[in-house]
Amino acid sequence: MGNNKEIVCFCQDVTKEDLIRSIDEGYDNIETLKRYTGVFMGPCQGKTCGMNVLKIFSEKSGQPFEELKVPSIRPPVVPIPLGAIANSNNGKDDE
Amino acid sequence: MNNKYDVVIIGGGGHGLSLAYNLSKISNLKIAVIEKNYLGSGASGRNGESIRSAFGHDAWIRFHEEAVNLWETISAELKFNVMFTQCGYLVLATSPKKMDVMLNTVKRQQELGVKCHVVNKAEIKKIVPNLTTNIEGGVLQTSGGYARHDAVVWAYAKAAKALGVEIFPFTEVKSIDVKNGKITGIITDKGDIETPIVVNSAGGHCAQIAAMAGIEIPTQTYRLEMIATEPLKPFLKQYVSALDQIGYMHQTARGEFIGGTEPPNFLPSMDLKCTMYNLKDMASKFVELFPCLSGVKIMRQWTGLMPIAPDASPILGPVYDVEGFIMDCGWTYGFMATPASGKYLAQLIKTGNMPSIIQPFSFERFKTRNFIIDPTLVVEAAITE
Repeated sequence: MGNNKEIVCFCQDVTKEDLIRSIDEGYDNIETLKRYTGVFMGPCQGKTCGMNVLKIFSEKSGQPFEELKVPSIRPPVVPIPLGAIANSNNGKDDE
Repeated sequence: MNNKYDVVIIGGGGHGLSLAYNLSKISNLKIAVIEKNYLGSGASGRNGESIRSAFGHDAWIRFHEEAVNLWETISAELKFNVMFTQCGYLVLATSPKKMDVMLNTVKRQQELGVKCHVVNKAEIKKIVPNLTTNIEGGVLQTSGGYARHDAVVWAYAKAAKALGVEIFPFTEVKSIDVKNGKITGIITDKGDIETPIVVNSAGGHCAQIAAMAGIEIPTQTYRLEMIATEPLKPFLKQYVSALDQIGYMHQTARGEFIGGTEPPNFLPSMDLKCTMYNLKDMASKFVELFPCLSGVKIMRQWTGLMPIAPDASPILGPVYDVEGFIMDCGWTYGFMATPASGKYLAQLIKTGNMPSIIQPFSFERFKTRNFIIDPTLVVEAAITE
């Protein structure tokens, strides 16, 4: 991280400068930018940072904001504990 | 894009890019890599990241032991940190039947140079304290571990580009031209390319690409699902795979617990949608193996595609009906093989001779019926001995 501490992604501490530098390094697709920096990949899964990341990406890449695609949305919508889904009989069958 | 290359590789995942890099390193061939989506968008960015060589068939052990050796120096060679973590790889049995499989294979693994040994229940309790005590034992390969899969794709792409390889993401192959039994070129949505050699590194789509050249390959593509949890304090150092649960798991440097399992009634499909059926299987088995995960939240679930040959081993090298068509397909443990498959297929393309280490995986085994069946895989082969 450089001197610019404008944090965009609060889960992974990714700054605006990190995003801009990563795009310059060639991670200039929203899916590769996600995987390179970790934005959209923390506990909030992009719910906190998403719009700001897209805005910075749009400004830097020159692609209109309206035309940007968000990275694939993965389930679950809200994090749920493993124990709430696990079978009580330890997954041996679905009965 | 030029209209003429010496070699065109279809598939911009780890395998295609590793081959491009390795071939460029040992030859002056003009190489293009064609990828339908972004680089690493297929199984290269969706797999479980595991690395081991403690398998149950000589051909698997020899090839993957070579891969493990290459992993040890790959970050330095490519000048890109792929975060290879040699934390140890523990294969686990919860049934006496699977424990026997391991006891029967470990001696041969050691003879072939794999740094591994049997660990009993008490030893496992010591090295993986959070694991269930309901286990028979396992085999620990101290030289195994994992690496960051996305970084592997980027590292090979960057190193290949520096050597002059041309990479075309977001470019779709529409058809492959074959004249008089020889490859002559490909047609893409961005233009036509003349080439005498086409490599099929298309992962889950390998059968469709082979069909474009008129070749039928006996793979079927299955879908596997994985989950990542919220980040946790480090609690699991080793990579773990569980034979009875058909599961594989590790904790990343960020602290997420990541893993996948194969549920019963595993059927071919290319659908990337996630299912509750798989989620329930994963949650149940992971809580069974690590009771401490019960209250831990799942952040994300995703799906990847895996092509499986009838014997669940990869298919490498030439096909005999179409000259210039090279297979790099049918990978069920493809991630860990990435450095080695690229190295040896590059040798094959340069010299025209199949290197002995990959010879057992050639396409002709389906004619000669010399199937390669490894009993230690956490995928089920359709053919059994």
